[in-house]
Amino acid sequence: MSSPLLDVWEAAASAPFSPAIGKNTQFTVGFVLLAISLVLTTVFGMNRSLANLPVLGVPASLAFGFGAVYMICAVGVYV
Amino acid sequence: MRPFPLVSCIAALSSFACAELNLSEPLLSKQVLPRTFTPPQVFKNANLVRTMSLDKAYPRETINVIIENIDSKPQSEYYLPFDSSLLSKVGGLEVRDKKAVDKGTFKVEVVGIDAQSSTEFYLIHLPEPLAPAAQQTISISYAVLSSLKPVPTQLGQSDKQYLQYTFSAYAPSAYLTEKQRTKVKFPNSDVPDYTTLPADLNDENKADPQKQGSSFTYGLYNNVPAGAQQPVSVRYEFTKPLTHATLLERDIEVSHWGGNLAAEERYWLVNQGAGLKNHFSRVEWQKQSYLNPPTFALKGLNLPLAPGAVDPYFTDDIGNVSTSKFRPGSGKKEAFLELKPRYPVFGTWKYSFRVGWNAHLSSYLRKLSTGETYILKVPFLEGPRQIEGISYARVNLRVILPEGAKNVRFSTTVPIVDNSTSLHKTFMDTLGRTTLSLTAINLVDEFRDRELLVTYDYPWTAGYRKPVVITLGIFALFAVTWVLGSIDTSIGKKKVA
Repeated sequence: MSSPLLDVWEAAASAPFSPAIGKNTQFTVGFVLLAISLVLTTVFGMNRSLANLPVLGVPASLAFGFGAVYMICAVGVYV
Repeated sequence: MRPFPLVSCIAALSSFACAELNLSEPLLSKQVLPRTFTPPQVFKNANLVRTMSLDKAYPRETINVIIENIDSKPQSEYYLPFDSSLLSKVGGLEVRDKKAVDKGTFKVEVVGIDAQSSTEFYLIHLPEPLAPAAQQTISISYAVLSSLKPVPTQLGQSDKQYLQYTFSAYAPSAYLTEKQRTKVKFPNSDVPDYTTLPADLNDENKADPQKQGSSFTYGLYNNVPAGAQQPVSVRYEFTKPLTHATLLERDIEVSHWGGNLAAEERYWLVNQGAGLKNHFSRVEWQKQSYLNPPTFALKGLNLPLAPGAVDPYFTDDIGNVSTSKFRPGSGKKEAFLELKPRYPVFGTWKYSFRVGWNAHLSSYLRKLSTGETYILKVPFLEGPRQIEGISYARVNLRVILPEGAKNVRFSTTVPIVDNSTSLHKTFMDTLGRTTLSLTAINLVDEFRDRELLVTYDYPWTAGYRKPVVITLGIFALFAVTWVLGSIDTSIGKKKVA
């Protein structure tokens, strides 16, 4: 029995979904990003200035944002 | 090679963009007909063979019938009547062309007569109208849930269980049936009681029913008028549990970030078999467990899972249930989860639990070449595969898609009664995840291999919502720290350098 969606499924056979970071490397990536974030936060904490806010704050926030997403996936809560 | 899938993909997409897509129409939105309604007598059943199979925990019926158009115009609407008390137990009704089974099922809907009437109809739409005097062979199959009664209703712990099933020797029909037979297939030849019909009712004037080993045949009956009933009852041995799920909630959660498909199923089971006459005896149970005799208690459930299933869990109200075994599948071999409830579930007893597992998303999700659209293909029902079968009064399936998914469309061959799209809020969500909820009633385990296909649009910007929200939150914290840190709270005059 064929249905329109089944044809769509067959047509997309060559493009299975693959995540940017595989399940096995999620913990490593998450841990490294969170560690970078921690280091940058510590450095910012030692020298809080307006110049350091974009220089250290932005990369630290980005690293924490992505690191948190990968870490929660790595521990089994697949968001 | 590359352009071909693209073209076929666009062609396939364009065909459903305008067509009616959700193939499974809700059965609840039924048409209500006036009380005076009787199906127009435009068909007759030239020959009908009804096969009733009692080898599982629910009766399954297959009606193979040659229908003939006796009207002067082509006709395409065939009615199948049921008493409303029976109709609420009929599940998984499917109609096929007997001579072209792979062409799929016909469109079927429930039509009711106003609240006063006890008869309701299934309206079967033939895909092509049947010309006058033409014949077509159709095959109608369905299961009747919760209709087997244990007699006696209470048994000793190691007794044999006998079930009684009452049905009509005449197949349900809204039309004159010229010739018909009802074959009843029992699980074994131990049938202590059954209704014997007078021989003059039978066209061949033979003893009715005719017995051949473990199957009985009622009929042949000639020219049975529309709506005629001939109640008969059979009682047969069936020392197996009558496993019935009053509710199954099944969640499928798609995670693009984690590349994971998580499945969780919550069951509310009841054994509809005979109850225990005396108290449960653990000693007797343990003694006979070495011999592994047939029993009407539910001892275990076997769940075959798709290859690649990992991290299974089995919990109930108390917590983790340690009496389970998991054999991971390798390659194309399916994984196997063997569950044992905390206690043997005897008749009238209940057991509720949850199981769940994870799988790689890549085997279930594909990206269409036409942009940011994804297609998901998952089984509608997984669940236990038992020899005696399992029936589900209600199945609530939720497909939890990533946050920001839109344009959700689906298609399945399982007859569903309701569908809706809503938002489900859980970890790290700001808006909530798009959730497709589907409801089916009166399903049996034969539907466990049916697929559900879901397509949705998921723009890449929606994918970055989670990390960006966290990033902004943390950056705000940095900014606040800086602002608070630079407030001068010292007492006294500022020192001028």
